[in-house]
Order: sequence, then structure tokens, then C-alpha cells
Amino acid sequence: MNPIKFLEPTDFSEASSLLDQYTDDAKIIAGGVSITLMLQQKLISPSVLISLGRVSNYDFIRHDQDGLHIGALTKLRDIERSDIVKKFCPALAHTFSVVGNVRVRNQATIGGNLSAADYAADPPSMLAALNARVQVQGPEKKREISLGKFFLGFYTTALESNEILTEVVIPNLSSSARAAYHKYTSISAEGRPCVAVGAVADFDADGKCLDLRIAVGAAVETPQRLNSAEAMARGQILTDELVAAIAEEYSLRLDPLTDVRGSAWYRKEMIRVFVKRALQEVRNDR
Amino acid sequence: MILNVNGSRHEVQEGTRTLLEVLRDDLGLVGTKEGCGVGMCGACTVLVDGRPISGCLILAEQVVGKEILTVEGLEKNGQLHPIQQAFIDERAFQCAYCTPGFILSTAALLNENPNPSEDEIREYLSGNLCRCGSYQNILKAVLRAHQRV
Repeated sequence: MNPIKFLEPTDFSEASSLLDQYTDDAKIIAGGVSITLMLQQKLISPSVLISLGRVSNYDFIRHDQDGLHIGALTKLRDIERSDIVKKFCPALAHTFSVVGNVRVRNQATIGGNLSAADYAADPPSMLAALNARVQVQGPEKKREISLGKFFLGFYTTALESNEILTEVVIPNLSSSARAAYHKYTSISAEGRPCVAVGAVADFDADGKCLDLRIAVGAAVETPQRLNSAEAMARGQILTDELVAAIAEEYSLRLDPLTDVRGSAWYRKEMIRVFVKRALQEVRNDR
Repeated sequence: MILNVNGSRHEVQEGTRTLLEVLRDDLGLVGTKEGCGVGMCGACTVLVDGRPISGCLILAEQVVGKEILTVEGLEKNGQLHPIQQAFIDERAFQCAYCTPGFILSTAALLNENPNPSEDEIREYLSGNLCRCGSYQNILKAVLRAHQRV
């Protein structure tokens, strides 16, 4: 690797000013998993790394009135093991527990995971189905972006070149809501997902579905929700036939990619299977 | 820049290098192995502030000020650590290339969960690969070690 300047600001505002100053020559490094991999593979060649290692107070998980707040520098392993997260949404804790291996989860942060916008990741699909939003800090102002508008494409986000993700907010779920995350790996159990499905459903007392949100990721460029398919569930009992029809809609309408983990055709087949399983889980868990 | 490795301070040259490279090339701590180079195999496992991390996935600059433990730091006064001894007693290796990583992951596991079930051991160590396939003996070694640690 070429010599790279390693800067260590102590808060996000300073980090974002540095980013503004160096623009395209700089990369933010949080846990460092993605950045180190990309440096090793010579996919990036920044002249400056702006480390968030000395930024304090952004390693937190707390349940406020408006939902669950997770600081950008929180390690995936801490989210997976957090009693607050497990109580808030067990499926969310589960999602973080299946990322890579324990070493990766000890190092990677939620902010880094989302900002890297790697399509073959676990958290984005579950968080998209949970209607999560991210808070970002620029040199002058902060703003909030819904996760549905955050991922723009391969390794591309709605972050401006001088903005940094600081916090993830997940709105409260009603007590009758259920969530599930299904990860399908085609190579090895600890590998990246070939298909990722996050599902959240809410039901009335009679078991009719009030609201359904399903985000499919890893098989497509960015997590995808389908309004047409989600609407099929509204006001309905999730019968086996309806579950199959919704799964079919996702399989039919999404346009998956081909990579080492599976062909587009194969992924269409697996989307059908795993959307169905995620829906069955939220239904049966009720 | 200064790294704290196995309880001693080491001055190493600045620059963007992985912790694995610095440990092996500058400090001669070759117990930490390079396997896949992408964080999948666990051969380069080291403990950073007690947590297992892939040495190949982290830059040395990121761990300045933290406590780094490599397999060389486990023995005390010429006595092998009980986990090391358990791996020998159970012959938990053939070629042994993966062993330092397994031993450090086991140390972290037992620190976090002093009485793990077999399932918990399998789950925790699933990110360490042994291409000789010594998994059954490794499992026995971890079970033996947790009685001694």
C-alpha cells in the first residue's frame, strides 16, 4: 500500500470538515473492514484516511420514545448481544448475529456497514423493512434520510461527499407487529447473503394483516420493497395461498443480479423461497 | 508509532499496513498466520482489547493505544496456557496452521462465556477454518480447556 495520511478527528463535525477539505482524496474509516479489504485489493487509493476511532459518544444503543437509536460507531457484535435490541425486535438482533463471523462483527460498525452500501450485506434489508432512518452530519448541518432513499446503487449512497452517517433510528413497532430476517447463503454458512429478506407485519386481533413490509436485498443492487406485493396483504389473512402469491410477485418483479453467489435465474427462484419463509415466520409467530 | 503487544510497547514504523503485516514482518511474531487475507479463515486471529479480530482486516494505525494479544503472549514463565496444553493433549491439529487462531478465539470465547455448550463453541468458532478437518478434536480441546481455565 502507498503511504496514506491517517487523521484522527475527535468528533463528527471535525471529521466532516476534514472530508470537505480533502473531498475525493479522503475516505472515512470506522471499523475498517471494508476499507482495509478495498485497500488490499487496490480498489481504492485514497491519500487520506479519516479515522473515526477517536470519536467518542457514538457507540450507544438506547430506546427512546420515538424508537431505537443506535450510534454509528456501535459494533455489530454489540448490537447482536444487546438486551435492548433483543427486546425491541429479536429479528434485528438476529440479523446482526449472522453477519460474517465473530471477528468481523467485533470490528465492523453499523455506520460503516450502511455507508459502504455493499449489496451483499445483511443489515440493510432488515433495516429497510423496519423503516429505519439515518442521521448524517455535514460540515454545517445535520439531516435525516430514510433508508429507502439512502441506498442509490452499488456502493453508492445519498451521502454528500462531505457527510458522515452518525446514527440509525428505528421507529417503534406496535406490540402486535412481528419481524423476521431470512438470509440465504449459497457458498458457506458464514458467507455473505445470496438473498436477504427482511419482513415486518402487523396484525389486528382477528389475525388480519394491517401492514406488511418486505425488503429483499443482496440479490439486487439495493434493498427493494414492492408496494404492489405489500398491498396484497393489507386487510387479509395470510393464508398459504396469499403467502405464495406475494412471494411469487417478488420473484417475478425483481430483477436480480448474477455473481459468484448465484445467477439471476437462481436468485429469482431463491427469492420466491425465502420471501415465503420470512412471511410464514411472521405469520406463525403471531 | 507505538503498539502494545503482549504486554510490551513496541515502536514500529508508521504507514498504512495491516496489523498482520506489522506483527509478522516488524515484530517477528509469526505465530499469527496469513490465510485467506479477507477475514474469512481466522488464521490471523489476534485479540484487540480482549476481542478476536482478523489481523488482515485491520490497519496497525487503528490499534494504537489498544492491547494486542497474539499467541506468543499466552504462555507465562515458560508454562503453556491451559488452552494451548488442551490442544496438545487432544491432538487438536494436523498441520497446525490454524491452531494459533483457534487458540485465541477459544481464549476470547471462554472469557466471554466461561461455560459454553457444544453448540455455543461450534457457533463461536465457525469463523475459524481448519482445512485438515480436525474439528472434532478441536471441540474436545475446547471442552477440556474450559474445565481448566
